[in-house]
Amino acid sequence: MAACRRSRIGLAVLAAAALAGCAKQGATVQGQEIHDLYVLIIILALPVFIGVEGVLLWCIVRYRQRRTSDGQPVSQRAGGPRSLAVFFAIPTVIVTFFFLYGERTLADVQRPEPNPAVELRIDGFQWQWTVYYLNEGFFVTGKTLTKEPVFELPVGAPVHVRLEARDVVHEFYVPDFLFMRNALPGRPNEFSFTPTRIGTFRGQCAEFCGLHHDQMRFVLKVVSQADYVAWVDQARKAAQHVDCNPSGPLKLVSKDNSWNTGCLAVAAGSPFSVSVSNLDPGIEHNFAIYPKAGAKRPLFQGPRFAGVAEKTFELRPLPKGRYYFQCDVHGPAMSGALVVK
Amino acid sequence: MAIVEPRTTERAPEPQRHWLVEWLTTTDHKRIGILYLGNSFAFFFVAGLFALLMRTELAAPGRQLVTTNGYNQLFTLHGTLMIFLFILPVLVGFGNYLIPLQIGALDMAFPRINALSFWLLPVGGLTILSGLLARGGAAAAGWTSYAPVSEQGGAGQDLWIVGLVVVGTASILSGVNFIVTILRLRAPGMTMTRLPVFVWSMLATSLLMVLATPVLTAGLLMLFADRRLGAFFFNPTHGGDVLLWQHVFWFFGHPEVYMLILGAWGVVSEILPVFSGRPLFGYPGVILAFVLITALSFSVWAHHMFVTGQVEYPFFSATTELISIPTGVLFFNWLATLWRGRLRFEPPMLFALGFIALFLIGGVDGVWMASPSMDFAIHDTYWVVAHIHYVLFGGTVFGVMAASYYWFPKITGRLLSRKLGQWHFWLMFLGFNLTFFPMHELGLRGMPRRVADYLPDAGWSFLNQLATAGSFLIAVSLLVFLVNVVLTLRRPPDAPPDPWEGNTLEWATTSPPPVHNFDRLPEVRSNRPVRDGREQEVAR
Repeated sequence: MAACRRSRIGLAVLAAAALAGCAKQGATVQGQEIHDLYVLIIILALPVFIGVEGVLLWCIVRYRQRRTSDGQPVSQRAGGPRSLAVFFAIPTVIVTFFFLYGERTLADVQRPEPNPAVELRIDGFQWQWTVYYLNEGFFVTGKTLTKEPVFELPVGAPVHVRLEARDVVHEFYVPDFLFMRNALPGRPNEFSFTPTRIGTFRGQCAEFCGLHHDQMRFVLKVVSQADYVAWVDQARKAAQHVDCNPSGPLKLVSKDNSWNTGCLAVAAGSPFSVSVSNLDPGIEHNFAIYPKAGAKRPLFQGPRFAGVAEKTFELRPLPKGRYYFQCDVHGPAMSGALVVK
Repeated sequence: MAIVEPRTTERAPEPQRHWLVEWLTTTDHKRIGILYLGNSFAFFFVAGLFALLMRTELAAPGRQLVTTNGYNQLFTLHGTLMIFLFILPVLVGFGNYLIPLQIGALDMAFPRINALSFWLLPVGGLTILSGLLARGGAAAAGWTSYAPVSEQGGAGQDLWIVGLVVVGTASILSGVNFIVTILRLRAPGMTMTRLPVFVWSMLATSLLMVLATPVLTAGLLMLFADRRLGAFFFNPTHGGDVLLWQHVFWFFGHPEVYMLILGAWGVVSEILPVFSGRPLFGYPGVILAFVLITALSFSVWAHHMFVTGQVEYPFFSATTELISIPTGVLFFNWLATLWRGRLRFEPPMLFALGFIALFLIGGVDGVWMASPSMDFAIHDTYWVVAHIHYVLFGGTVFGVMAASYYWFPKITGRLLSRKLGQWHFWLMFLGFNLTFFPMHELGLRGMPRRVADYLPDAGWSFLNQLATAGSFLIAVSLLVFLVNVVLTLRRPPDAPPDPWEGNTLEWATTSPPPVHNFDRLPEVRSNRPVRDGREQEVAR
């Protein structure tokens, strides 16, 4: 009897372990806490599950209609206030315990990091992401259907993220971090995490955001501190290295929320025209020129207009130098260098 | 003031009308009930077909069957039709047929409103489906249609809004009708404490329909104003708020979840006692649980919005966990009803037992999501898809099947085949678990919902194949059901008034009942009047 009971307990522990194995270990400090909460809920829920299904099966086997039981009266007891009180008490106890533990984990996961080593701003748009490295001064962006952004973070360093969306609701989700958070237009969200494991982690948008929702993937690499410094260096240099030469009238075409080119060139000192063709049905774009990326005041800002449509703008001459152009709706994801030679 | 219709003592015989005209103009609650059931099952098969197409598409990475836009329309229509045109209307259909019978009334309180609220349904449903003919296709923003994605889309999205307003109006009307019928038309002796549990569950459902549906209607009108009239309720570029839609939608949406399940709880609480020969254990506790859940259901909506990062976590997680307490009480009462009973495994009982086994999983896996930080890991993944289907398919649809086998003889005068019913149950039980259980693991492995495609190296392919295989098994089981219904309907009607040894008043009249429902109404002295009658007969 005792052996039987022991083996039964062993079986339950094994089942719990197997279920716990189903959930990923968190690759961040916060994610690991969530994983621990997952395991705790298994420990609370599994006995309830086994208990109820067990009693159900027991009833089915033990109290099924048999020839021999015909004619004998069936108990007509239907319970009273005492059973009612017990029925209410059992789940109340479980739920109270569970609530308090859940609140503790929540407080840890939500706690903002006072001294982040990396500060990011992440923008979702239809249908990709732009990641700005606020202190390092560069950004990494994906392009709808053509390029997934790949960005890196140093292991063991706290990261602070300000998450926003440019058009509709998106969701930043990295399964290995056991974490997702909505990117809401007009309502920024902030959160912190500390990666604990070197590796390449896939993420993608988890809130349905229109046609190419399933293609809003990104890759997040957690690397050593040295590798991270090298990557930042290289990304900074690459950002300054775009160049091209003047060749006739400027023509910009947007398709799938992406410009046809990342570099425009004109001759210094003469007026020029830009024709902007928006091939994205129902989606708004515009064309704006800034002295450099991140500048607040534009040198030129065309009106937003929805596709499919084309507009041509006549611009005054610009002095020699490098400028930055973008679509203000989609930001750096639809940007490039304007070189005046 | 009473309005008395002048009656002539001798009435001219009713002219014989074409059967089609009879059905189109009927105000008989039984016929309207049958129309509800027929219409609901038709939409069930259409929406089920959409699900099969989705599962086939997801069987392997890459494009198989439909375009991305096509896939987005499929899951939008699948969710919308299943929720608004199958699950709720099918429960309302059973309510229509049975509530007047179970409370010993002649008809519903407002028979013409009853007919109107039915006929609005196919109109609304077809309006939504007609989006398929619009340029750009039908609505493709999901059944929750989060703004501002739902402000993009073409005419299909407008048709979705208009169709849902029509369907919502239907459910408000039938809610009012049920409430008045239940409160005012009960037979002598049918006090509220003797009311059958199914009637109680539909009373709670009706309260929710009347109180929550207008909120959805308001939200839909705001969405329409944003899209076509230049308003900016949900558009942040002009000072609107994207979260407003989610608050409005879920303030309706969570009571909606209980509208979709309360009726099934009622069905199961009727069937378990009949097939175990016991009274429902803790009848007052079950009613109390219904009432508590109905009240609490208005306080939990933002647990759908934990991942927005902008809701009051402790409040909404506390109310969510609180609502699981009365739900737990229901399980205890059901098990205690079976305890020491004499269980007969007729098809209705099989589905009712299947309901308990599966709905439990839907209840338990929901516990993870009730805790906000845990929800951050699994919300918007396939875990949620598994959860909602364990609740609404493993729960409500199994309950609906139990109801179908249980009341089919009352409605048609014919008993469905027991053997085919067993095949149907086991195939559906197996297919259901094969489809939806692996989705928990898919969610833990990070597969988001509502994606038309996934990468071959994501590690999701095998589990998706299991789910697809399971979905075809479900389809086979439903074909068995269909065959069973068709074969049975071709037989002559021979069902006795009370084939199951039932408890409630519908078993006191013929199968099917006459137009006026009862030739003679038995006395009601408990919540099991028909059983009381049988006992008296034996005693005599």
